[in-house]
Amino acid sequence: MKQTLVVLILLASANAWATLGQSVDSVEADRGALQAVRKQANSKSEYTVHTIESGAATVREYVNAAGTVFGLAWTGLTHPDLSQLLGSYASDYQQAVSQNPHEFGKRSHSVDTGSVVVEKWGHMRSMKGRAYDPALLPQGVSADEIK
Amino acid sequence: MKSNKIPVILVLLLLATGCHSSGSDNHSGGSSGPQPIVAGLPNGGSLPTLSGPNVLAMTVNGSTCASNSYPNKPCVSVTVCAPGTTNCQTISDILVDTGSFGLRVFKSVLTVPLTPVALGGKTVGECVQFADGTAQWGQVETAGVILNGEPQVQVPVHVIDATFAQVPGACGTPVSSPANAGFNGILGVGLLAQDCGPGCVTSSANGFYFSCAGTACTGTTMALTSQVTNPVALLPHDNNGVVLELPSIPRGGVASLNGYLVLGIGTQANNIPHGVNVLTAAAGTGDFSTNFSGQVTAGFLDSGSNGLYFNAPVSGALPDCSFFDQNMAGWFCPNGTASLSAVNTGSNSSTASSVNFLVGNAINLSNNASNSVFIELGASGGGDFDWGLPFYIGRNVYIGIEGAASSLGTGPYYAY
Repeated sequence: MKQTLVVLILLASANAWATLGQSVDSVEADRGALQAVRKQANSKSEYTVHTIESGAATVREYVNAAGTVFGLAWTGLTHPDLSQLLGSYASDYQQAVSQNPHEFGKRSHSVDTGSVVVEKWGHMRSMKGRAYDPALLPQGVSADEIK
Repeated sequence: MKSNKIPVILVLLLLATGCHSSGSDNHSGGSSGPQPIVAGLPNGGSLPTLSGPNVLAMTVNGSTCASNSYPNKPCVSVTVCAPGTTNCQTISDILVDTGSFGLRVFKSVLTVPLTPVALGGKTVGECVQFADGTAQWGQVETAGVILNGEPQVQVPVHVIDATFAQVPGACGTPVSSPANAGFNGILGVGLLAQDCGPGCVTSSANGFYFSCAGTACTGTTMALTSQVTNPVALLPHDNNGVVLELPSIPRGGVASLNGYLVLGIGTQANNIPHGVNVLTAAAGTGDFSTNFSGQVTAGFLDSGSNGLYFNAPVSGALPDCSFFDQNMAGWFCPNGTASLSAVNTGSNSSTASSVNFLVGNAINLSNNASNSVFIELGASGGGDFDWGLPFYIGRNVYIGIEGAASSLGTGPYYAY
Protein backbone atom coordinates (compact mmCIF):
# COMPACT_ATOMS: atom_id res chain seq x y z
CA MET A 1 0.00 0.00 0.00
CA LYS A 2 3.00 2.27 -0.40
CA GLN A 3 1.99 3.62 -3.71
CA THR A 4 -1.15 4.99 -5.15
CA LEU A 5 -2.66 3.59 -8.27
CA VAL A 6 -4.30 6.03 -10.59
CA VAL A 7 -7.50 4.62 -11.97
CA LEU A 8 -8.95 6.27 -15.01
CA ILE A 9 -12.56 5.63 -15.74
CA LEU A 10 -13.17 5.91 -19.41
CA LEU A 11 -16.56 5.31 -20.85
CA ALA A 12 -16.46 5.10 -24.57
CA SER A 13 -18.32 3.72 -27.51
CA ALA A 14 -17.60 0.12 -28.37
CA ASN A 15 -15.15 0.88 -31.13
CA ALA A 16 -12.79 3.07 -29.15
CA TRP A 17 -10.48 0.32 -27.93
CA ALA A 18 -6.83 0.77 -27.42
CA THR A 19 -5.06 -2.40 -28.47
CA LEU A 20 -2.55 -4.65 -26.81
CA GLY A 21 1.03 -3.57 -27.36
CA GLN A 22 0.08 -0.13 -28.63
CA SER A 23 0.09 3.31 -27.10
CA VAL A 24 -2.79 4.37 -24.95
CA ASP A 25 -2.68 7.78 -26.63
CA SER A 26 -5.03 6.69 -29.39
CA VAL A 27 -7.87 6.24 -26.95
CA GLU A 28 -7.17 9.33 -24.94
CA ALA A 29 -7.03 11.45 -28.03
CA ASP A 30 -10.32 10.03 -29.21
CA ARG A 31 -12.22 10.59 -26.05
CA GLY A 32 -13.59 13.95 -25.05
CA ALA A 33 -15.41 12.45 -22.11
CA LEU A 34 -12.29 11.35 -20.24
CA GLN A 35 -12.71 11.59 -16.49
CA ALA A 36 -10.31 10.53 -13.79
CA VAL A 37 -10.48 9.82 -10.10
CA ARG A 38 -7.79 8.80 -7.68
CA LYS A 39 -8.30 5.62 -5.79
CA GLN A 40 -6.07 3.66 -3.47
CA ALA A 41 -5.14 0.18 -4.53
CA ASN A 42 -2.69 -2.31 -3.15
CA SER A 43 -0.59 -2.44 -6.25
CA LYS A 44 3.03 -3.44 -6.14
CA SER A 45 3.94 -1.24 -9.00
CA GLU A 46 2.58 1.74 -10.79
CA TYR A 47 0.47 1.32 -13.84
CA THR A 48 -2.81 2.79 -14.94
CA VAL A 49 -6.00 0.94 -15.61
CA HIS A 50 -8.42 2.26 -18.18
CA THR A 51 -11.92 0.86 -17.92
CA ILE A 52 -14.04 0.84 -21.03
CA GLU A 53 -17.71 -0.08 -20.99
CA SER A 54 -19.43 -1.50 -24.00
CA GLY A 55 -22.87 -3.03 -24.23
CA ALA A 56 -21.67 -6.55 -23.62
CA ALA A 57 -18.40 -6.29 -21.72
CA THR A 58 -16.29 -4.20 -19.43
CA VAL A 59 -12.69 -4.15 -20.61
CA ARG A 60 -9.84 -3.03 -18.36
CA GLU A 61 -6.68 -1.99 -20.13
CA TYR A 62 -3.41 -2.08 -18.18
CA VAL A 63 -0.95 0.59 -19.28
CA ASN A 64 2.69 0.65 -18.20
CA ALA A 65 4.75 3.75 -17.41
CA ALA A 66 5.82 4.03 -21.02
CA GLY A 67 2.18 4.37 -22.04
CA THR A 68 1.95 0.95 -23.67
CA VAL A 69 -0.99 -1.37 -23.14
CA PHE A 70 0.56 -4.53 -21.69
CA GLY A 71 -2.57 -6.35 -20.62
CA LEU A 72 -6.33 -6.56 -21.01
CA ALA A 73 -8.97 -8.12 -18.79
CA TRP A 74 -12.66 -8.37 -19.48
CA THR A 75 -15.94 -9.45 -17.94
CA GLY A 76 -19.38 -9.37 -19.49
CA LEU A 77 -22.26 -11.13 -21.18
CA THR A 78 -19.91 -12.27 -23.92
CA HIS A 79 -16.22 -12.19 -24.69
CA PRO A 80 -15.27 -9.01 -26.58
CA ASP A 81 -14.09 -9.25 -30.18
CA LEU A 82 -10.44 -10.12 -29.67
CA SER A 83 -9.55 -9.55 -33.31
CA GLN A 84 -9.85 -5.85 -32.44
CA LEU A 85 -8.39 -5.84 -28.95
CA LEU A 86 -5.33 -7.94 -29.71
CA GLY A 87 -4.20 -5.71 -32.56
CA SER A 88 -0.97 -7.00 -34.05
CA TYR A 89 -1.12 -10.11 -31.85
CA ALA A 90 -4.46 -11.20 -33.31
CA SER A 91 -3.11 -13.27 -36.19
CA ASP A 92 -0.63 -15.11 -33.92
CA TYR A 93 -3.49 -15.88 -31.57
CA GLN A 94 -5.83 -17.08 -34.30
CA GLN A 95 -3.12 -19.31 -35.70
CA ALA A 96 -2.43 -20.83 -32.29
CA VAL A 97 -6.15 -21.43 -31.72
CA SER A 98 -6.52 -23.20 -35.05
CA GLN A 99 -3.52 -25.42 -34.24
CA ASN A 100 -4.87 -26.36 -30.80
CA PRO A 101 -8.49 -27.47 -31.19
CA HIS A 102 -10.44 -27.27 -27.95
CA GLU A 103 -10.78 -30.36 -25.79
CA PHE A 104 -14.38 -31.54 -25.40
CA GLY A 105 -15.85 -30.70 -22.03
CA LYS A 106 -13.02 -28.41 -21.05
CA ARG A 107 -14.56 -25.11 -20.05
CA SER A 108 -11.54 -22.91 -20.05
CA HIS A 109 -9.24 -21.65 -22.73
CA SER A 110 -5.56 -20.86 -22.43
CA VAL A 111 -3.31 -20.04 -25.35
CA ASP A 112 0.33 -18.98 -25.13
CA THR A 113 1.77 -18.08 -28.50
CA GLY A 114 5.10 -17.00 -27.05
CA SER A 115 4.28 -13.36 -27.72
CA VAL A 116 0.83 -13.21 -26.13
CA VAL A 117 -1.11 -15.17 -23.51
CA VAL A 118 -4.91 -15.33 -23.84
CA GLU A 119 -7.12 -16.95 -21.19
CA LYS A 120 -10.91 -17.29 -21.11
CA TRP A 121 -13.23 -18.70 -18.45
CA GLY A 122 -16.68 -18.23 -16.91
CA HIS A 123 -20.13 -19.37 -17.97
CA MET A 124 -23.08 -18.10 -19.98
CA ARG A 125 -23.89 -14.46 -19.11
CA SER A 126 -20.65 -14.14 -17.16
CA MET A 127 -17.73 -14.50 -19.53
CA LYS A 128 -14.30 -13.41 -18.39
CA GLY A 129 -10.77 -13.43 -19.67
CA ARG A 130 -7.46 -11.70 -20.00
CA ALA A 131 -4.68 -11.22 -22.51
CA TYR A 132 -1.16 -9.92 -21.99
CA ASP A 133 2.27 -9.71 -23.52
CA PRO A 134 4.64 -11.23 -20.94
CA ALA A 135 7.53 -9.18 -22.34
CA LEU A 136 5.71 -5.91 -21.62
CA LEU A 137 4.83 -6.65 -17.98
CA PRO A 138 6.34 -3.97 -15.74
CA GLN A 139 9.03 -5.32 -13.46
CA GLY A 140 7.54 -6.79 -10.30
CA VAL A 141 4.03 -7.02 -11.74
CA SER A 142 2.49 -10.48 -11.86
CA ALA A 143 0.15 -11.49 -14.66
CA ASP A 144 -2.37 -12.36 -11.93
CA GLU A 145 -2.83 -8.63 -11.34
CA ILE A 146 -4.50 -8.38 -14.73
CA LYS A 147 -8.07 -9.15 -13.79
CA MET B 1 -24.06 1.29 -27.15
CA LYS B 2 -23.21 4.96 -27.40
CA SER B 3 -21.62 6.78 -24.52
CA ASN B 4 -24.09 8.14 -22.06
CA LYS B 5 -23.07 10.92 -19.75
CA ILE B 6 -25.61 10.35 -17.01
CA PRO B 7 -24.27 6.93 -16.00
CA VAL B 8 -20.75 8.34 -16.24
CA ILE B 9 -21.53 10.97 -13.66
CA LEU B 10 -23.23 8.48 -11.35
CA VAL B 11 -20.27 6.13 -11.50
CA LEU B 12 -17.85 8.92 -10.75
CA LEU B 13 -19.92 10.21 -7.87
CA LEU B 14 -20.01 6.77 -6.29
CA LEU B 15 -16.27 6.41 -6.63
CA ALA B 16 -15.51 9.94 -5.50
CA THR B 17 -17.49 9.55 -2.29
CA GLY B 18 -15.65 6.38 -1.46
CA CYS B 19 -18.84 4.37 -1.39
CA HIS B 20 -17.85 0.72 -1.07
CA SER B 21 -21.19 -0.74 -0.14
CA SER B 22 -22.93 -0.59 -3.47
CA GLY B 23 -22.42 -2.99 -6.31
CA SER B 24 -19.99 -5.75 -5.60
CA ASP B 25 -20.56 -8.46 -3.06
CA ASN B 26 -18.86 -8.57 0.24
CA HIS B 27 -16.68 -11.63 0.05
CA SER B 28 -15.63 -11.64 3.64
CA GLY B 29 -18.59 -13.78 4.66
CA GLY B 30 -21.20 -12.95 7.24
CA SER B 31 -20.70 -15.98 9.42
CA SER B 32 -17.83 -16.64 11.74
CA GLY B 33 -16.38 -19.77 13.25
CA PRO B 34 -16.02 -23.13 11.54
CA GLN B 35 -18.05 -23.69 8.39
CA PRO B 36 -20.23 -26.76 8.06
CA ILE B 37 -18.60 -29.38 5.92
CA VAL B 38 -20.89 -30.65 3.20
CA ALA B 39 -19.57 -34.08 2.41
CA GLY B 40 -22.10 -35.68 0.07
CA LEU B 41 -22.60 -39.40 -0.18
CA PRO B 42 -19.95 -41.68 1.29
CA ASN B 43 -17.54 -43.33 -1.09
CA GLY B 44 -19.53 -45.78 -3.22
CA GLY B 45 -22.83 -44.46 -1.86
CA SER B 46 -25.82 -45.24 -4.06
CA LEU B 47 -29.04 -43.42 -4.85
CA PRO B 48 -32.56 -44.61 -4.12
CA THR B 49 -34.50 -45.48 -7.26
CA LEU B 50 -36.57 -42.52 -8.41
CA SER B 51 -39.50 -42.49 -10.79
CA GLY B 52 -42.21 -40.10 -11.89
CA PRO B 53 -43.10 -37.76 -14.73
CA ASN B 54 -40.56 -35.23 -13.45
CA VAL B 55 -37.59 -37.64 -13.36
CA LEU B 56 -35.23 -37.88 -16.35
CA ALA B 57 -32.62 -40.59 -16.48
CA MET B 58 -29.28 -38.80 -16.50
CA THR B 59 -26.10 -40.76 -17.09
CA VAL B 60 -22.47 -39.81 -17.22
CA ASN B 61 -21.27 -41.56 -20.35
CA GLY B 62 -23.99 -44.18 -20.00
CA SER B 63 -27.03 -45.07 -22.11
CA THR B 64 -28.13 -41.45 -22.66
CA CYS B 65 -24.75 -40.37 -24.06
CA ALA B 66 -23.05 -41.23 -27.33
CA SER B 67 -20.52 -44.00 -26.88
CA ASN B 68 -16.81 -43.25 -26.69
CA SER B 69 -17.35 -39.63 -25.76
CA TYR B 70 -15.20 -37.40 -23.56
CA PRO B 71 -14.80 -37.94 -19.79
CA ASN B 72 -17.38 -36.64 -17.30
CA LYS B 73 -20.14 -35.84 -19.79
CA PRO B 74 -23.65 -35.91 -18.21
CA CYS B 75 -26.46 -36.52 -20.72
CA VAL B 76 -30.21 -36.90 -20.97
CA SER B 77 -32.64 -37.59 -23.78
CA VAL B 78 -35.07 -34.83 -24.73
CA THR B 79 -38.17 -35.06 -26.90
CA VAL B 80 -38.60 -32.28 -29.46
CA CYS B 81 -41.84 -31.77 -31.40
CA ALA B 82 -43.28 -29.58 -34.09
CA PRO B 83 -44.90 -27.10 -31.67
CA GLY B 84 -48.27 -28.21 -30.35
CA THR B 85 -48.29 -31.47 -32.31
CA THR B 86 -47.49 -35.12 -31.74
CA ASN B 87 -44.90 -35.01 -34.52
CA CYS B 88 -41.98 -35.61 -32.18
CA GLN B 89 -38.54 -37.16 -31.99
CA THR B 90 -36.44 -38.13 -29.00
CA ILE B 91 -32.82 -36.99 -29.11
CA SER B 92 -30.13 -38.48 -26.87
CA ASP B 93 -26.62 -37.26 -26.16
CA ILE B 94 -27.95 -33.92 -24.88
CA LEU B 95 -25.43 -32.41 -22.46
CA VAL B 96 -26.94 -31.46 -19.08
CA ASP B 97 -25.42 -28.04 -18.49
CA THR B 98 -26.01 -25.98 -15.37
CA GLY B 99 -23.58 -23.40 -16.78
CA SER B 100 -25.98 -22.28 -19.51
CA PHE B 101 -29.65 -21.56 -20.04
CA GLY B 102 -31.97 -22.99 -22.70
CA LEU B 103 -32.06 -25.87 -25.17
CA ARG B 104 -29.69 -25.97 -28.16
CA VAL B 105 -29.83 -28.76 -30.73
CA PHE B 106 -27.86 -29.29 -33.90
CA LYS B 107 -30.00 -28.83 -36.99
CA SER B 108 -28.42 -31.95 -38.47
CA VAL B 109 -30.08 -34.20 -35.87
CA LEU B 110 -33.56 -32.60 -36.14
CA THR B 111 -36.14 -34.52 -38.15
CA VAL B 112 -39.29 -32.61 -37.09
CA PRO B 113 -40.15 -29.11 -38.33
CA LEU B 114 -39.86 -26.30 -35.80
CA THR B 115 -41.36 -22.81 -36.16
CA PRO B 116 -38.84 -20.03 -36.81
CA VAL B 117 -39.13 -17.09 -34.45
CA ALA B 118 -39.92 -14.03 -36.55
CA LEU B 119 -39.03 -10.43 -35.80
CA GLY B 120 -40.66 -7.86 -38.05
CA GLY B 121 -40.83 -10.37 -40.88
CA LYS B 122 -37.17 -11.35 -40.47
CA THR B 123 -35.63 -14.51 -39.10
CA VAL B 124 -33.58 -14.49 -35.92
CA GLY B 125 -30.02 -15.77 -35.63
CA GLU B 126 -28.12 -16.22 -32.44
CA CYS B 127 -24.48 -16.56 -31.43
CA VAL B 128 -23.62 -17.94 -28.00
CA GLN B 129 -20.09 -18.15 -26.70
CA PHE B 130 -18.69 -20.65 -24.25
CA ALA B 131 -15.83 -20.36 -21.81
CA ASP B 132 -13.64 -22.70 -23.84
CA GLY B 133 -13.53 -20.14 -26.64
CA THR B 134 -16.01 -22.00 -28.83
CA ALA B 135 -19.23 -20.50 -30.16
CA GLN B 136 -22.52 -21.80 -31.51
CA TRP B 137 -24.45 -20.08 -34.27
CA GLY B 138 -27.85 -20.76 -35.76
CA GLN B 139 -31.50 -19.85 -35.99
CA VAL B 140 -33.88 -19.29 -33.08
CA GLU B 141 -37.01 -21.41 -33.50
CA THR B 142 -39.95 -22.40 -31.34
CA ALA B 143 -40.09 -26.07 -30.43
CA GLY B 144 -42.49 -28.22 -28.46
CA VAL B 145 -40.25 -29.68 -25.78
CA ILE B 146 -41.18 -32.69 -23.67
CA LEU B 147 -39.09 -33.55 -20.62
CA ASN B 148 -39.95 -37.15 -19.72
CA GLY B 149 -43.58 -37.23 -18.51
CA GLU B 150 -44.12 -33.50 -18.26
CA PRO B 151 -46.56 -31.69 -20.57
CA GLN B 152 -45.18 -30.32 -23.82
CA VAL B 153 -44.02 -26.71 -23.50
CA GLN B 154 -43.49 -24.38 -26.42
CA VAL B 155 -40.19 -22.63 -26.05
CA PRO B 156 -37.66 -20.77 -28.21
CA VAL B 157 -34.64 -23.02 -28.81
CA HIS B 158 -31.34 -22.52 -30.57
CA VAL B 159 -30.98 -24.60 -33.73
CA ILE B 160 -27.20 -24.91 -34.06
CA ASP B 161 -26.27 -24.49 -37.72
CA ALA B 162 -23.01 -22.88 -38.84
CA THR B 163 -24.46 -22.58 -42.38
CA PHE B 164 -27.42 -20.41 -41.35
CA ALA B 165 -27.35 -16.99 -43.07
CA GLN B 166 -23.97 -15.33 -42.62
CA VAL B 167 -22.03 -15.84 -39.38
CA PRO B 168 -21.28 -12.44 -37.78
CA GLY B 169 -17.56 -11.76 -37.52
CA ALA B 170 -17.53 -11.57 -33.73
CA CYS B 171 -18.97 -15.10 -33.59
CA GLY B 172 -15.70 -16.43 -34.97
CA THR B 173 -15.75 -19.97 -36.31
CA PRO B 174 -18.76 -21.62 -34.67
CA VAL B 175 -18.94 -25.38 -34.10
CA SER B 176 -20.14 -27.19 -37.20
CA SER B 177 -21.42 -30.62 -36.16
CA PRO B 178 -22.10 -32.91 -33.19
CA ALA B 179 -18.75 -34.56 -33.88
CA ASN B 180 -17.12 -31.14 -33.80
CA ALA B 181 -18.84 -30.17 -30.54
CA GLY B 182 -18.94 -33.47 -28.63
CA PHE B 183 -22.74 -33.69 -28.23
CA ASN B 184 -26.04 -33.55 -30.14
CA GLY B 185 -27.25 -30.62 -28.10
CA ILE B 186 -27.18 -28.83 -24.75
CA LEU B 187 -29.95 -28.59 -22.17
CA GLY B 188 -29.10 -25.47 -20.18
CA VAL B 189 -30.75 -25.91 -16.80
CA GLY B 190 -28.75 -23.36 -14.83
CA LEU B 191 -30.29 -20.91 -12.41
CA LEU B 192 -31.11 -18.09 -14.80
CA ALA B 193 -34.13 -18.43 -17.09
CA GLN B 194 -32.98 -16.86 -20.37
CA ASP B 195 -29.66 -17.14 -22.15
CA CYS B 196 -29.08 -13.40 -22.38
CA GLY B 197 -31.69 -11.80 -20.12
CA PRO B 198 -32.40 -8.10 -19.60
CA GLY B 199 -29.19 -7.02 -21.36
CA CYS B 200 -30.60 -8.13 -24.69
CA VAL B 201 -33.96 -6.47 -24.09
CA THR B 202 -32.28 -3.08 -24.05
CA SER B 203 -29.15 -3.46 -26.19
CA SER B 204 -28.69 -4.80 -29.70
CA ALA B 205 -24.89 -4.78 -29.38
CA ASN B 206 -24.38 -7.79 -27.11
CA GLY B 207 -23.47 -10.19 -29.89
CA PHE B 208 -26.28 -12.61 -28.93
CA TYR B 209 -29.30 -11.93 -31.15
CA PHE B 210 -29.37 -10.97 -34.81
CA SER B 211 -32.18 -10.03 -37.16
CA CYS B 212 -31.57 -11.65 -40.54
CA ALA B 213 -32.94 -10.70 -43.97
CA GLY B 214 -31.68 -13.30 -46.38
CA THR B 215 -28.09 -13.89 -45.32
CA ALA B 216 -27.52 -10.40 -43.91
CA CYS B 217 -27.76 -10.32 -40.11
CA THR B 218 -27.54 -7.30 -37.84
CA GLY B 219 -27.65 -7.13 -34.03
CA THR B 220 -31.10 -6.81 -32.53
CA THR B 221 -32.75 -6.48 -29.16
CA MET B 222 -34.89 -9.39 -28.04
CA ALA B 223 -37.85 -9.50 -25.67
CA LEU B 224 -37.39 -11.89 -22.75
CA THR B 225 -40.26 -14.07 -23.95
CA SER B 226 -38.57 -14.55 -27.34
CA GLN B 227 -35.15 -15.38 -25.93
CA VAL B 228 -33.92 -18.96 -25.76
CA THR B 229 -35.22 -20.09 -22.38
CA ASN B 230 -34.67 -22.96 -19.99
CA PRO B 231 -37.73 -25.15 -20.75
CA VAL B 232 -38.00 -26.13 -17.07
CA ALA B 233 -38.92 -22.53 -16.22
CA LEU B 234 -41.96 -22.82 -18.53
CA LEU B 235 -43.40 -26.05 -17.13
CA PRO B 236 -46.88 -25.69 -15.63
CA HIS B 237 -45.62 -27.39 -12.45
CA ASP B 238 -42.14 -28.49 -11.30
CA ASN B 239 -40.87 -25.20 -12.74
CA ASN B 240 -38.87 -23.69 -9.87
CA GLY B 241 -35.62 -25.52 -10.50
CA VAL B 242 -33.95 -28.89 -10.92
CA VAL B 243 -32.04 -31.44 -8.86
CA LEU B 244 -29.04 -33.28 -10.27
CA GLU B 245 -28.46 -36.57 -8.49
CA LEU B 246 -25.42 -38.77 -9.01
CA PRO B 247 -24.14 -41.60 -6.79
CA SER B 248 -20.65 -41.65 -5.38
CA ILE B 249 -17.76 -43.45 -7.09
CA PRO B 250 -14.38 -44.74 -5.98
CA ARG B 251 -11.10 -43.02 -6.76
CA GLY B 252 -9.71 -44.03 -10.13
CA GLY B 253 -13.07 -43.71 -11.80
CA VAL B 254 -15.76 -45.89 -13.32
CA ALA B 255 -16.86 -46.59 -16.88
CA SER B 256 -20.25 -44.87 -16.57
CA LEU B 257 -22.65 -43.59 -13.93
CA ASN B 258 -26.44 -43.60 -13.69
CA GLY B 259 -28.32 -40.81 -11.97
CA TYR B 260 -31.24 -38.46 -12.36
CA LEU B 261 -32.23 -35.01 -13.49
CA VAL B 262 -35.27 -34.26 -11.34
CA LEU B 263 -37.55 -31.35 -12.29
CA GLY B 264 -38.87 -29.09 -9.55
CA ILE B 265 -37.73 -28.48 -5.99
CA GLY B 266 -40.15 -29.54 -3.26
CA THR B 267 -42.94 -29.87 -5.81
CA GLN B 268 -43.27 -33.68 -5.59
CA ALA B 269 -42.54 -36.37 -3.06
CA ASN B 270 -39.39 -37.22 -5.03
CA ASN B 271 -37.74 -33.79 -4.91
CA ILE B 272 -38.04 -32.62 -1.30
CA PRO B 273 -34.71 -31.23 -0.04
CA HIS B 274 -33.16 -32.78 3.07
CA GLY B 275 -30.47 -31.10 5.15
CA VAL B 276 -28.95 -29.03 2.38
CA ASN B 277 -26.85 -25.91 2.53
CA VAL B 278 -28.26 -23.04 0.46
CA LEU B 279 -25.98 -20.63 -1.40
CA THR B 280 -27.66 -17.55 -2.78
CA ALA B 281 -26.34 -16.50 -6.19
CA ALA B 282 -25.86 -13.00 -7.56
CA ALA B 283 -28.82 -11.82 -9.62
CA GLY B 284 -26.93 -10.82 -12.75
CA THR B 285 -24.35 -13.58 -13.02
CA GLY B 286 -25.60 -16.46 -10.89
CA ASP B 287 -22.29 -16.60 -9.00
CA PHE B 288 -21.42 -17.08 -5.35
CA SER B 289 -17.89 -16.70 -3.99
CA THR B 290 -15.26 -19.35 -3.34
CA ASN B 291 -12.28 -19.03 -1.04
CA PHE B 292 -9.60 -21.51 -1.99
CA SER B 293 -6.20 -21.28 -0.37
CA GLY B 294 -6.80 -17.63 0.52
CA GLN B 295 -7.83 -16.62 -3.00
CA VAL B 296 -11.41 -15.38 -3.11
CA THR B 297 -13.01 -15.61 -6.54
CA ALA B 298 -16.41 -15.98 -8.12
CA GLY B 299 -17.67 -19.56 -7.88
CA PHE B 300 -20.33 -21.52 -9.75
CA LEU B 301 -21.50 -25.10 -10.16
CA ASP B 302 -21.26 -26.10 -13.83
CA SER B 303 -22.22 -29.66 -14.74
CA GLY B 304 -21.12 -28.92 -18.32
CA SER B 305 -17.52 -28.46 -17.19
CA ASN B 306 -15.90 -31.87 -17.09
CA GLY B 307 -13.44 -31.01 -14.33
CA LEU B 308 -12.83 -28.67 -11.43
CA TYR B 309 -11.29 -25.52 -12.89
CA PHE B 310 -9.41 -23.13 -10.63
CA ASN B 311 -6.10 -21.45 -10.06
CA ALA B 312 -3.63 -23.66 -8.25
CA PRO B 313 -1.82 -22.09 -5.30
CA VAL B 314 1.77 -21.22 -6.05
CA SER B 315 3.09 -23.80 -3.59
CA GLY B 316 3.43 -26.33 -6.39
CA ALA B 317 1.28 -29.10 -4.90
CA LEU B 318 -0.68 -29.25 -8.14
CA PRO B 319 1.83 -29.27 -11.00
CA ASP B 320 0.58 -28.86 -14.54
CA CYS B 321 0.56 -32.07 -16.58
CA SER B 322 2.57 -30.31 -19.29
CA PHE B 323 5.66 -31.06 -17.18
CA PHE B 324 5.11 -34.69 -18.15
CA ASP B 325 3.09 -34.59 -21.37
CA GLN B 326 2.53 -31.44 -23.43
CA ASN B 327 -0.73 -32.86 -24.80
CA MET B 328 -2.19 -32.75 -21.29
CA ALA B 329 -1.32 -29.09 -20.67
CA GLY B 330 -3.67 -27.38 -18.25
CA TRP B 331 -4.68 -30.49 -16.31
CA PHE B 332 -3.29 -31.07 -12.85
CA CYS B 333 -0.83 -33.91 -12.30
CA PRO B 334 -0.10 -34.16 -8.58
CA ASN B 335 2.00 -36.99 -7.26
CA GLY B 336 -0.85 -39.14 -5.95
CA THR B 337 -4.24 -37.68 -5.11
CA ALA B 338 -4.46 -34.30 -3.38
CA SER B 339 -7.17 -33.81 -0.72
CA LEU B 340 -8.20 -30.16 -0.74
CA SER B 341 -10.97 -27.96 0.54
CA ALA B 342 -12.53 -24.59 -0.23
CA VAL B 343 -15.24 -22.45 1.36
CA ASN B 344 -18.25 -21.38 -0.69
CA THR B 345 -20.14 -18.30 0.50
CA GLY B 346 -23.52 -17.20 -0.81
CA SER B 347 -23.78 -13.89 -2.64
CA ASN B 348 -25.66 -12.38 0.30
CA SER B 349 -22.88 -13.61 2.62
CA SER B 350 -25.41 -15.25 4.93
CA THR B 351 -24.36 -18.85 4.41
CA ALA B 352 -21.07 -20.58 3.86
CA SER B 353 -19.95 -24.16 3.62
CA SER B 354 -16.65 -25.93 3.39
CA VAL B 355 -16.32 -28.40 0.52
CA ASN B 356 -13.69 -31.13 0.46
CA PHE B 357 -12.53 -32.25 -2.96
CA LEU B 358 -9.90 -34.39 -4.62
CA VAL B 359 -7.52 -33.72 -7.45
CA GLY B 360 -5.78 -36.72 -8.96
CA ASN B 361 -3.13 -37.15 -11.61
CA ALA B 362 -4.91 -36.57 -14.91
CA ILE B 363 -2.36 -38.53 -16.92
CA ASN B 364 -2.68 -41.57 -14.67
CA LEU B 365 -6.48 -41.29 -14.77
CA SER B 366 -6.58 -41.06 -18.54
CA ASN B 367 -4.30 -44.06 -18.87
CA ASN B 368 -7.19 -46.25 -17.75
CA ALA B 369 -8.99 -46.35 -21.08
CA SER B 370 -12.03 -48.21 -19.78
CA ASN B 371 -13.08 -45.44 -17.37
CA SER B 372 -14.68 -42.12 -18.31
CA VAL B 373 -16.16 -40.83 -15.05
CA PHE B 374 -13.72 -39.35 -12.53
CA ILE B 375 -14.31 -37.47 -9.29
CA GLU B 376 -10.71 -36.21 -9.09
CA LEU B 377 -10.26 -34.45 -12.45
CA GLY B 378 -8.98 -30.87 -12.14
CA ALA B 379 -7.37 -28.23 -14.31
CA SER B 380 -6.20 -24.66 -14.12
CA GLY B 381 -8.86 -22.35 -15.46
CA GLY B 382 -8.52 -18.62 -15.24
CA GLY B 383 -9.77 -16.55 -12.37
CA ASP B 384 -12.97 -18.18 -11.09
CA PHE B 385 -13.66 -21.44 -9.26
CA ASP B 386 -15.65 -23.58 -11.67
CA TRP B 387 -17.08 -26.54 -9.75
CA GLY B 388 -17.59 -28.90 -12.65
CA LEU B 389 -19.09 -32.36 -12.93
CA PRO B 390 -16.86 -33.92 -10.22
CA PHE B 391 -18.62 -31.72 -7.67
CA TYR B 392 -21.95 -33.31 -8.63
CA ILE B 393 -20.72 -36.87 -8.15
CA GLY B 394 -22.03 -38.26 -4.86
CA ARG B 395 -24.40 -35.36 -4.26
CA ASN B 396 -27.91 -34.11 -4.80
CA VAL B 397 -27.46 -30.57 -6.11
CA TYR B 398 -30.45 -28.19 -6.20
CA ILE B 399 -30.51 -25.39 -8.78
CA GLY B 400 -33.16 -22.76 -7.99
CA ILE B 401 -34.26 -20.70 -11.00
CA GLU B 402 -34.27 -16.92 -10.67
CA GLY B 403 -37.51 -15.47 -9.33
CA ALA B 404 -38.98 -18.89 -8.52
CA ALA B 405 -39.79 -19.82 -4.93
CA SER B 406 -39.38 -23.13 -3.15
CA SER B 407 -38.95 -24.31 0.43
CA LEU B 408 -35.28 -23.34 0.02
CA GLY B 409 -36.05 -19.72 -0.84
CA THR B 410 -36.35 -17.71 -4.02
CA GLY B 411 -33.90 -18.26 -6.86
CA PRO B 412 -31.28 -17.82 -8.03
CA TYR B 413 -29.64 -20.18 -5.56
CA TYR B 414 -27.68 -23.40 -5.36
CA ALA B 415 -28.15 -25.93 -2.58
CA TYR B 416 -26.32 -29.15 -1.81
